Amino acid sequence: MDSFFVRYRNLLVLLAILMAQIIGLAVQVRRTESGRNTLDPQDTPSVRLIRLWADAVITPPEQLFHTSKLGTEGLWRNYIDLRSVREQNQQLQQTIDRLRLEQASLLEDARQGERLQALMAFQEKYIYKTLAAQALGTSGSDSSRVFNLDKGAADGLRPDMAVITADGIVGKVREVYPASAQVLAINDQTSGAGVILETTRIRGILRGNASGQLQIVGILADQRIHPGEKVLTAGGDQVFPRGLPVGVVEKVVQDPERDSFIIVFVKPAAHLDRLDEVQVITSTEPHFSEEMQQDMATSERLKGPAAASIKEQQKASQIMAERLPGLTDPNAPVTDTTATPAQSAQPGQQPAKPSEAPAPKLMRTLHPDRYTPGAQPEPVKPPTAAPAAQPALSQPPKAERNP
Amino acid sequence: MNVLGIDHRRDMGIRSYPLLVYALTPLLALVLQALLPRLLHGYSWFDLPLLVTIYFALVRRDPIQGTLMGCGLGLFEDALTHHAIGVNGIAKTVAGFLAGSVGVRIDVENHTIRLMLTFLLSLLCSAIYVFIYRVLLGLELQWSWLAELMKAVDNAVIAMVLFPILDRTQMRD
Repeated sequence: MDSFFVRYRNLLVLLAILMAQIIGLAVQVRRTESGRNTLDPQDTPSVRLIRLWADAVITPPEQLFHTSKLGTEGLWRNYIDLRSVREQNQQLQQTIDRLRLEQASLLEDARQGERLQALMAFQEKYIYKTLAAQALGTSGSDSSRVFNLDKGAADGLRPDMAVITADGIVGKVREVYPASAQVLAINDQTSGAGVILETTRIRGILRGNASGQLQIVGILADQRIHPGEKVLTAGGDQVFPRGLPVGVVEKVVQDPERDSFIIVFVKPAAHLDRLDEVQVITSTEPHFSEEMQQDMATSERLKGPAAASIKEQQKASQIMAERLPGLTDPNAPVTDTTATPAQSAQPGQQPAKPSEAPAPKLMRTLHPDRYTPGAQPEPVKPPTAAPAAQPALSQPPKAERNP
Repeated sequence: MNVLGIDHRRDMGIRSYPLLVYALTPLLALVLQALLPRLLHGYSWFDLPLLVTIYFALVRRDPIQGTLMGCGLGLFEDALTHHAIGVNGIAKTVAGFLAGSVGVRIDVENHTIRLMLTFLLSLLCSAIYVFIYRVLLGLELQWSWLAELMKAVDNAVIAMVLFPILDRTQMRD
């Protein structure tokens, strides 16, 4: 018997270790009501403990690396590479001025929206409080698109909090440890977020594929969806507040598994493969935060009159356009409707609102004459000495001459 | 390929390394595996813990040591993902066992053999991973053989650089 164990020692050790791991795997998987296998969304205490150990081992070296990297970068940026700071400062000031003007002009709409929401007993959640965090390491695997943050439970992070950047959404907090947290990126295969297409208002579920691309699934084939259309969060997933930028439609392809469905590929707004600093939305409330209110008040104080005059001008021109009769020119060049407002706007100008071309409205004429559109032309006597070169223009058809 | 007697090979070629190398190399591989994809803009078609497993299993010529190291590193990798813990563990356990078993029988100094072995074991690891995930556990997982092939090629190329560096850390009598 001893010789058996000695002879097959290697194989027995292998089998024992494999068997232990297979049993461990079986514990983590459960069968849903629909008969499909799935991983338990909440780790068991033993699994969580293993993850905690791994995190405790891997996070300190990562933090050390990032601290030294940030220190070197800070030394370079703050003390050495300051050549273009003055120009950047001016550009930023101009941007702030422009944004303040935009904010002041949108302020009334926001207030009206709040009033309407209150009337309809619908409360939209606004981002109330965010926490800046540094992205550390990844899982190291292309089949698991998660990354770690340098903030954890001690900083107020909780599972299912949304993680965003200034450009767009990034993911949600999946696991929280005392001093760090694990974030599931939106381009992971197991992630899911409710999204809406900005123009067509078509809703779908955003998720990642094997190669880390974002795609919206579960959409019926629709000819109106075109590349370049913006994708926003729909707000129904209890993670991301409504209206946050997700990306733009990159291409639309037929779903190979379902005939009448399409897959919309989305180019993410946030740089998911170059994340550095992110914001975690730690609190959402149905009203504007104090900071936002102060900022809006400042914008209104500084740029309110200018914004009001711009709005008045726009209103006047709109009224004028509605009252004046007009006809669309069939030979007019077709404008590119797919261009986004931001693309068409010149630098320094406000981006135009995406609206359709104004349809001509014909007002009812009080005293119609023969020049009124749609009126029957009056009989005109042929000129006695009409120029030979213009007979067709001056002579109406015979049938119309006698009423 | 030089096929030598097992006892002769054991007597002649088993290497030993400072304890610090045994402790730090796997840790460094895990840290770099987590860090490098961020620095390389998401590129993660390589598996440094697998390479470390294969290397130590080969040069130590010990299947049990290869099995244990593969198991430990694989479980650690699993713990850093949000997937089930044990999928990578099983794949790397098998890879470590095979590398240790093969190391007894072949000349592991040969660079071509190392290249081919790393390539094949990397492919095997991917196959085991997909098998466990989709067949054994019955979970959904999109994957592409081309990507796994590229990963195996990357691993083989990195092994050609990494293994000679690790060779230099061995203890001399």
